[in-house]
Amino acid sequence: MQFYLFGELIVLPTDVIAAWVSVIIGAPLALYWFTKKRYWPVVWDFATSTNHRKIGMLYIIFALLFFFRAGIDALFIRLQLVTAENEFWVFQGDKYNEVFTTHGTMMIFFVAMPLLIGLMNVAVPLQIGANDLAFPFLNAIGFYLFLTGGMIFFAAFFFNAAPNAGWTAYAPLSTYEFTSGPNNNYYIFGLQVSGLGTIFAAINMIVTILRLRAPGLKLTRMPLFPWASLITSFLILVAFPVLAIALLLLQFDRFYGATFFLGEMGHPVYWQHLFWIFGHPEVYILALPAFGIFSDIISSFSRKNVFGYTSMVIALALIGLLGFMVWAHHMFTVGLGPFANTFFAITTMMIAVPTGIKVFNWLFTMRRGVIRLQTPMLFALGFIPTFVMGGVTGVMLASAAADMQYHDTYFVVAHFHYVIIGSTVLGAFAGLYYWYPKMTGKVLDDKLGKWHFWLFLIGFHLTFFPQHLAGLNGMPRRVYDYTWEDGVFVYNFISTIGAFLMGASMLFVLWNIYKTHRTKEENVGPDPWDGRTLEWSVPSPVPEHPFEKMPVIDRRDALWWAKQEERSLPIEDHPRTSPIAVRTVQPLVLSAALTILSFGFIYGWVWMQILGGAASLGFFLLRAFNDERTEAYRKEEQDDE
Amino acid sequence: MKKLAMMAVLLILSGCNLRVLDPKSQTASDQAFLIYLSFGIMMFVVLVVTILFIGFIWKYRETEKNRYDIPKHEEGNRTLEIIWTVLPIILLIGLAIPTVMITYDVSDIGATSDDTLHVNVVAEQYQWTFGYENGKETHKNLVLPVDQEVVLHLTSKDVIHSFWVPKLGGKIDVLPGEENQMKITPNEEGTYQGKCAEYCGTLHTDMRFETEVVDQEEFQQWLEE
Repeated sequence: MQFYLFGELIVLPTDVIAAWVSVIIGAPLALYWFTKKRYWPVVWDFATSTNHRKIGMLYIIFALLFFFRAGIDALFIRLQLVTAENEFWVFQGDKYNEVFTTHGTMMIFFVAMPLLIGLMNVAVPLQIGANDLAFPFLNAIGFYLFLTGGMIFFAAFFFNAAPNAGWTAYAPLSTYEFTSGPNNNYYIFGLQVSGLGTIFAAINMIVTILRLRAPGLKLTRMPLFPWASLITSFLILVAFPVLAIALLLLQFDRFYGATFFLGEMGHPVYWQHLFWIFGHPEVYILALPAFGIFSDIISSFSRKNVFGYTSMVIALALIGLLGFMVWAHHMFTVGLGPFANTFFAITTMMIAVPTGIKVFNWLFTMRRGVIRLQTPMLFALGFIPTFVMGGVTGVMLASAAADMQYHDTYFVVAHFHYVIIGSTVLGAFAGLYYWYPKMTGKVLDDKLGKWHFWLFLIGFHLTFFPQHLAGLNGMPRRVYDYTWEDGVFVYNFISTIGAFLMGASMLFVLWNIYKTHRTKEENVGPDPWDGRTLEWSVPSPVPEHPFEKMPVIDRRDALWWAKQEERSLPIEDHPRTSPIAVRTVQPLVLSAALTILSFGFIYGWVWMQILGGAASLGFFLLRAFNDERTEAYRKEEQDDE
Repeated sequence: MKKLAMMAVLLILSGCNLRVLDPKSQTASDQAFLIYLSFGIMMFVVLVVTILFIGFIWKYRETEKNRYDIPKHEEGNRTLEIIWTVLPIILLIGLAIPTVMITYDVSDIGATSDDTLHVNVVAEQYQWTFGYENGKETHKNLVLPVDQEVVLHLTSKDVIHSFWVPKLGGKIDVLPGEENQMKITPNEEGTYQGKCAEYCGTLHTDMRFETEVVDQEEFQQWLEE
């Protein structure tokens, strides 16, 4: 469709029109429904809260929203590739490039990350006996920065300007000279804003875990999910600033003609180094929290403590450390030379050792246990073979000379979907089913959960297993078409069927949530799974400040042993003061200011840049001289006297 | 799913017509060897994990009998933990040594004699240009003589591309403002697909070419045309 608006020719492809039409119809319906059900007070309560559970739930809700969006993108990809020489709707050429870029970027930054950070928000404070995260206000800011970044990125498509340089945005393709539209500006600002939020979340998590553990809960007695969160947060703290720097340099290249990645002085490979110095730790940022979730779930549902606790922690730390020394294995074909290539090949192979230790420890946690096959455990069990398959193709990819064949083919696509879906997505689902009672007070339906699990897992393997073979038969990634002579039709066809199975499985999640909340049943008790860690000692859903009576921890899985010995945990007489909850709209305001700033830059409107910039800066100044906790502090001091 | 996996394994083992596993040069053969080797080692790992996984779930799943049992507390087992630390290290060393050797081999790009054929490969959005020493240029097809060493000099006019002929060897990126080199010696006549493997923009998909490996005489004739 083409039309003139203010004298400018506007071209809108039909998919964008369809999206607008569905928003114009859907938005009023949603608003009407919210009003009719009187949900606005709840929305307002969540939007202005600094409570860790509520913010965690917001992270998860929006991550799921983005998950459906990016999932639909995946279905478009699969429909375009369902058969050779196919033309599905508009998804050829640049449109296809926009779809896979959006799918990848959104799944990594706005689905996988927030799902995990959301679960950390909900579970970590409860597992360590903290009443909230150390900096509740910062937590709200972190969430709103993620949401702002996500929404900026989400909006790009509606203005027919979705980023199109791949989620890796390799220079020089991503520079102004080759992609001059606003498209990749959306990429820069979406990631920059949300990345800052991620850094804040990491700082918060580190301080909370180091400072707010219950008395007696030494680091060596901490469950593995907080351990994984702690190590992950350190990875974020090192990796995300590198991404921020890379994006800033790219921004200068695009807006002001700096030549960091192009021309006489610059070099396109600099981008790849920066991106992967961030990008590879990012993989472990996604995987480690999932490892933590699985450790807790496998232990709970086998009714046994974690096998080899110490080596589990050491393995987590080693994986985190080695994760920083392997980035160039994404660049074996760049021509770095055989010395660099073999060095990074060997460091990469080394990661297999701690990962293997973890896998065997999980297996031996189950040995001699009593394995209950409920939904969270099913996801944890589905994870083990899936992730191992992704892990072994990882070692195959690490073999530098062989990687020159695999590189940038569907073999790689299959590999990273096996590891990321295998760990992060299955882990997030497991965590969601596991901690759902802590969030809402209800247990999700087990039968529908099992439907979800089996459809998802079967669909997953159908989708991605054949892609290994497509890759070995010479199918490069990021192509929207192939010929009959390529001999990859069968693989792609099976793949598409699998993708729709995965899509269908997600409908069961919606149905399950709907069904669980339709019945007005009583909330479940504190401990629906017969758990081992501290979160199962407080009511479901978790009230604000659940540890007013602070338990004293004398060993690992203290709650479990207390239950076995039919006693309750001892209570600390003089607990540490809790972080102070406030009600605030400030994060919303900052969010608005940054949105203005970002759109100013994306479309190069200087007045908007100045407006958004002044507003953001003003916000920081305001914050510097205001602390709404002062009153609470004063009251505490008076009480002490 | 298992059946599918089995079929897939058989497919790979037979090597049948998957291009990467059907090498037509020494480089590609070396790489295929590494792929088979790593695949073999890794299948052993997968097998061990699968056996333990299925065995444990089967044996220790919740039944009427053990529903209320409380399993014994067990911190770990040093011997077992040492086994699954050391064994993978040994397996990985078994993979690392050939990896290092072959990586050095395939990265050796210098011409070994004066007879070596040099071809300039220039990539741009969205076509290839193959330039021969006598000034002949082609776009759609790269013609090479069989059993002769060829050194490709690759450079890009715009963004990053990647040169890939699966049957002749792994890919090498084609960068702007810099020359990468690649040495291959095709050892069988035939026509092989070539592709750009690094995403390079709108029509990345269409940036394909054919590699025709012909005998010496035919090559000379073609070159003079």
